[in-house]
Amino acid sequence: MDANPIVLDESADDVVVVVVEGEHDIYTAPTLRERLDEALERGGGVVVDLTGATFVDSSVLGALLDARRRALDADQGYVVCVGEQVEPGVQRILDITGLVPVLPVVGDRSQAIEHARAGVRG
Amino acid sequence: MTVAVVPEVRLTMPARAEGVGVVRQALAGMADALAFNAAVVADMKMAVTEACTNVVVHAYEGEEGTLEVEMLADDTGLTIVVRDWGTGIQPRPQRREAPALGLGLPLIAALSDSFELRGSTNSGAEVRMTFIADRAGDPANANPVTGGVGDDGRWDPTAEEPS
Repeated sequence: MDANPIVLDESADDVVVVVVEGEHDIYTAPTLRERLDEALERGGGVVVDLTGATFVDSSVLGALLDARRRALDADQGYVVCVGEQVEPGVQRILDITGLVPVLPVVGDRSQAIEHARAGVRG
Repeated sequence: MTVAVVPEVRLTMPARAEGVGVVRQALAGMADALAFNAAVVADMKMAVTEACTNVVVHAYEGEEGTLEVEMLADDTGLTIVVRDWGTGIQPRPQRREAPALGLGLPLIAALSDSFELRGSTNSGAEVRMTFIADRAGDPANANPVTGGVGDDGRWDPTAEEPS
């Protein structure tokens, strides 16, 4: 059993949700990049759900930003959500890098899916 | 006379990506034992992760090498030293095996109460970070992460606004 899973949730039709749980750093960033590639290849909107993530580092931010760039280039909606009670190991790096409005980052998943579906840009 | 017990941890391991989480867990255990504030612990974990990641990605140019981490506690806080014996400090990484944002050192500066970088080309490198248990303020206010993501996907400290 993987303590730090990254899985695709395709239950929202035209928006794929990449669900990231646990701790993620340079070790799991390549897997995250693969999952993000798979999600983008579906051609619709992409949401990255960090609600269950307890720690992300700059390797993860790099993967999220690269995927955002590709989504923008392909006119695909792209939104990150973090839930309502965000872990310090996730909130802190987003705050001090100023990436909340850039990625962009919202609270709950349903809101993120709506934004991604509408192709809302950061 | 009571002699204060000063915890000291030294970890030596191969400089590989899977080791970074091990260092983080060891640090979390030590911080628990010392009853640090949760926000300070979160900053320590982030900063030590970035320092170890720099070693894994840049120090040995794809060759095997050693990552060493020391954690030294005193009355005021915790000092963490992350050390390697690799190619030393380069102006820019020689190659980009894993795409790197280049945000590691700015994050370490923002998250630690003080930090020092030692080393030169081909003599290894050492990052020494100190975290004060009872902080007077947020170090990220004194050393904010500036800039944004440049056109090449790396962090550009001079960027006005992320693109």
